[in-house]
Parts: sequence; C-alpha cells; structure tokens
Amino acid sequence: MINPILEKDLKTKMRGWRTPVLLSIYLLFLGGVLFLFFLANNQIFVYYTDTAFNPRVAVSAYNVIAMFQFVLLMLIVPAITATAISGERERQTLDLMLCSDISTWSIIIGKLIVSIAHIMLLVVASLPVMGTVFLFGGITFGEIILMFLFYVITALMVASLGIFLSTLFRKNVTAIIATYICLGILALGPVIAFFIWGVFFQRSYNVEITYSLLTAFLFPSPGYGFASFFAGTQSNLFGTIFNEIQHLAEKETNFLRYLKPWMINGLFNIIFSGILISLSAWKLQPVKKRKRKA
Amino acid sequence: MLKITNLVKRYGKFTAVDNLCMEIDEGHIFGFVGANGAGKTTTMKIVAGLLQPTSGEVLVGGIDILSEPRTVKRKIGYMPDFFGVYDDLKVDEYMDFYAGIYGIPYRERRAITDQLLELVDLSHKRDFYVDSLSRGMKQRLCLARSLIHNPSLLILDEPASGLDPRARVEMKCILKELRNMKKTILISSHILSELSEMCTSIGIISQGKMVACGTVDEIMDKLSHSSRIKIKVRDRMEDAIRLLQEQPSIGKIDIADSAIEASFKGDDQVLAEILKRLVTQGIPVVSFTETGESLESVFMHLTEGSEEYDD
Ligand SMILES: Nc1ncnc2c1ncn2[C@@H]1O[C@H](COP(=O)(O)OP(=O)(O)OP(=O)(O)O)[C@@H](O)[C@H]1O
Ligand SMILES: [Mg+2]
Repeated sequence: MINPILEKDLKTKMRGWRTPVLLSIYLLFLGGVLFLFFLANNQIFVYYTDTAFNPRVAVSAYNVIAMFQFVLLMLIVPAITATAISGERERQTLDLMLCSDISTWSIIIGKLIVSIAHIMLLVVASLPVMGTVFLFGGITFGEIILMFLFYVITALMVASLGIFLSTLFRKNVTAIIATYICLGILALGPVIAFFIWGVFFQRSYNVEITYSLLTAFLFPSPGYGFASFFAGTQSNLFGTIFNEIQHLAEKETNFLRYLKPWMINGLFNIIFSGILISLSAWKLQPVKKRKRKA
Repeated sequence: MLKITNLVKRYGKFTAVDNLCMEIDEGHIFGFVGANGAGKTTTMKIVAGLLQPTSGEVLVGGIDILSEPRTVKRKIGYMPDFFGVYDDLKVDEYMDFYAGIYGIPYRERRAITDQLLELVDLSHKRDFYVDSLSRGMKQRLCLARSLIHNPSLLILDEPASGLDPRARVEMKCILKELRNMKKTILISSHILSELSEMCTSIGIISQGKMVACGTVDEIMDKLSHSSRIKIKVRDRMEDAIRLLQEQPSIGKIDIADSAIEASFKGDDQVLAEILKRLVTQGIPVVSFTETGESLESVFMHLTEGSEEYDD
C-alpha cells in the first residue's frame, strides 16, 4: 500500500495551480540566466560572422547554470518542506492524523518523499535547459547525472532539516525562517570557521593547507560538495576556490584521495538527514510510550 | 470500556485536570458537561492519546493508553472540538485519505465510505470539494471520518457546537443511530439539556474536578431537595418577601416579572406550611408553584464559582 500522505499530497499538489506556476517561474529563470550569459559573451548573434563559437563559453555557461540551479534549490526547498508539519498544525488537521494508529515515521517519510518528488520535478524539468549547454560540448553526460544525484542528496538534507524544524515550530513562518537560518549556518559556518582558523592559527604555526585539513572544516557545507562539479577556469572568486579544492584533492596522498568533495559532503548529508528524520518522528509522537508495569 | 483513574494534567503550575476518575461501560453514552475551561477537551485529548498526562491511568478496553498507544488508538474514534479540513480534497477523497491513514485496504474503502456518508447524510455531496460544504456538513463529515476504522469507543468533543438548531437535531439523530450501533460514546457539551435526552450517564466537571457523576436520574436526585418556587401575589409584595425571608427553608429570593422566585430546600409538607403562613397573613396569593429544577440550573449550581457560563 502506498503511503497515504504521499498519495494525498501528490494528488493535491499536482492539482493546484502552485506547482505549474512554480515550475514555469523556475524554468524561465534558468533560461533567462542562460540567455543573459550568452548575450553578455556575444555568443548569440555571432553565428553568421567569422568568429567561431567558443566552447570555453559553453563550459562557463554550464558552471553558471549549475550554480544558479543549486542556489535556487537551496532557496526553494526550505519553502516547500518547512510547512510540512507546521502547516498541518496550522490547518488543525495534525491531530486527526496523530489520533490514528499511523506511525509518526510514516507521516514524516510520506512528507519527505512528497518534497523530494516535488524537487525532482523541478530538476528533471530543467534537463532541457542543461541540455543546451551539453550540446555545445565540454561536459559529459555522466558528469551531469552525477551532479543531479548530488542535487537530490543535498535536497534530501535540506528537506529533512525543513521537516525537522517544522515539527519543532508551530508556525509556518517561523519554521521557514528557521530553516533558512540553519541552512545559512550550515553553508557558511564552516567557511567562516576555516577563515578564522586560518587567520589565527595557520599564520603562526605555518601549517600547510591540505585536502584533509580543508575537508575537516568544510565537509558539512553544501558549497564544498558542489566544488566537485565546477568545471573550467579560475575566472572569478568562486572559480578560484572551487578549482583550488579540486587541485588539493588531486594532490592528496592518503585514503581521502578516493573521496571527492561531493561524496564526503553527500555522505554527511545522508547521515545528517537520517538523524533529523528520526528526531522528527520522535518529536511528533504526542505521548511517549510507557513501559508496562511489571 | 473506558476507565480513568486519578488523571492529572498540569500546565506548569496550572492544573487543568485534577484527580479525575470515571468509568464508562460498554454501550453506554457518557455526557461530559462543564463550563468553558473546565478541562473537558484536555481530558478527551488524553484519552485519544494526543496529550501526555501528568499522572494517572487511562484504560481503554483494559489496555493502558500509555503502554500500547497504537493498539488503543485503533479502538478510538476522536472528533475534536476544532478541526480543519483539506480544502483541496473532494469528500470521497477525504474519506479515502483517512481510510489510508488507518491502513484500510483499497478494496474495502469504497463500501465503508458509502456506508458512512449514508449515515451522516452526505452521499449526495461525495464529489464536492470539502471546502464547499457548510459548517454542519463539515462537522458531519468529520464524524464520519472518526468512524472510518469502526472504533468501539467514540470521543466527541462538542459535536454540536456552532450548529443551528436544525443541524443540532440532525446531529442528535446521527448520535442516536450510533447508540443503536452499540458504540460506547464519550460526548462533551456545555449544554446539559442537550445531553440529558440521549445519555445514559452524565459527569459534571468543574475546574478540572468531577463534581458529580452518575446516571441522569441520580444527578437530579442529588439535588432534588433543592428546587425553586414561584409565587405570584396581587398586592403586598414587600410583606410577602419579608415573611419568606423569615423561613429557614427559603434561600435566595429574586423578583422576576412581578413574581417572587425563591430557592427552596425541603419537602412538600414544609412547602404547604409556607403557603398556609402567607395566606393566614392575608397576603393575596394568586399562584404558588414549585418549578422544579432543570438540568441547567443543577449545572449552574454545581459549577458555582467557576468561570462564566455562556452559550
Ligand atoms: N496548552 C495549554 N497550555 C496551558 N494551559 C492550557 C493549555 N490547554 C488548555 N489549557 C488550560 O486548561 C484548561 C482546560 O481547558 P480545556 O480546553 O480542557 O477546557 P474545556 O472544558 O474543553 O473548555 P471549552 O468548553 O471552552 O471547550 C483551561 O483553563 C485552559 O486555559
Ligand atoms: Mg473544549
């Protein structure tokens, strides 16, 4: 039997106007960014001139789109997941579910799969946009698939975080804001910690920055995992940082060299999601079970 | 069927339910009456497994709600006082969703939904969006939902609140049907008369304590020595009041539309004595009636000093 919450939420989400509108805006945005990028690089109206199409620009376009999509997902996922439980509470339908014999696990997992499915829809729908870049060459199909896998794992983590905070806070608004704040801390906190460490300790002891050192600091940050999928040149600040991470990863000598940033971050995301999901299911239980008296 | 012993629920220092005990036998309908904030909803939520009690024990069919919550929840149908509906679902989809929540197989759902919508008289609305139903219909739909897994104990928190008189009557008919189906029902209201017709027993709760509990007749008996008399005089009202005030059996005296109303404790002989006194003093008594006490006033009496009563 399909999880009833999954069944119902999929039905109503697809029925409403929200999903098509969200999807359209999302695609328009990605397409717009891509268009502007080519425009800025003089690649749209140059076909009939003698200048050949520059594949380097295609790779840069891929980078821009990949990053934009990643950031967009980070912004959208909290908004659609952090209302999962608090929304039911605000609508006064949560008690109707909790007074049944369904386990809180099923409720949480149902909500989680709905959110992931929703996000997958956005990601899959964006494939044609990514495909345009793919057509120009420079990026392999395998790389795109791996990147999507990473997107889904990251989305799982953000969705779990959203659902967890949604069981914690009673109001939708509070839960959404809390999710953004926690996500911000998770993404930027490690980087800030690393810089502070760099300023105070690295200078005085003159430690060499290695991949393992970097990983020890940055592994929770989604941005660190994303570094794996950055292709191309050190054209800007992000490029420099992402390239440096990849460069360090190649130089690594111990076992960590087999683990790319996205794998380490992905593994962390999966474990962290597991913890958050268990905590949510536990927190949602209205009464804590009592051991039977002897 | 349901046995509550020494149930206590505290919110910080505030005690919402205070050492409550009660027992409902199988097939009985228990009316739970109390003013606003008396602790009815709190008690019902604890029984439905939605609220952690501070202490005490709740047994449903002999099983402790805290040791086997999921087993117990299968036996309970709960209808909260305030509830929401998914406005983007149709009536039959709504029933289907809750059937799924209770793990009822797909092939059985249709028949159960049909039967329950028939019971609450909503069959003609099955393809309508839940949002488009009137309040009374939503309330009936919620009742049908609480019956979907064929529970033996029903907990209905003010199922008739906010309904117009006609919808109340309809709700009452449905409840009578449920009684015929041999369901055990715990129903709350702050209108006692509403319950008195259909309940087998009644418990009156005030400030978290059960102040009276028993069959409807027992509750009335408890206060039978106290009733009200209504005296109409043609003239000399002051004298009549003065005379009444001298009587030890007469309590508080009010004047309502040119008649004297007084609370009275005692039997018929004392009553006859009072009438004789009035007449021998030459007071022109037009009428002299014992009004008896309605359930409402028993309720008022028992919950005296608690929060304001309103409906
Ligand atoms: N979550 C809570 N935190 C603190 N106090 C609460 C909470 N829930 C209920 N109370 C208090 O417990 C008392 C009992 O409330 P309850 O809802 O059980 O009353 P009730 O008998 O159902 O009243 P009504 O007729 O208005 O529905 C009230 O005084 C209320 O203020
Ligand atoms: Mg209440």
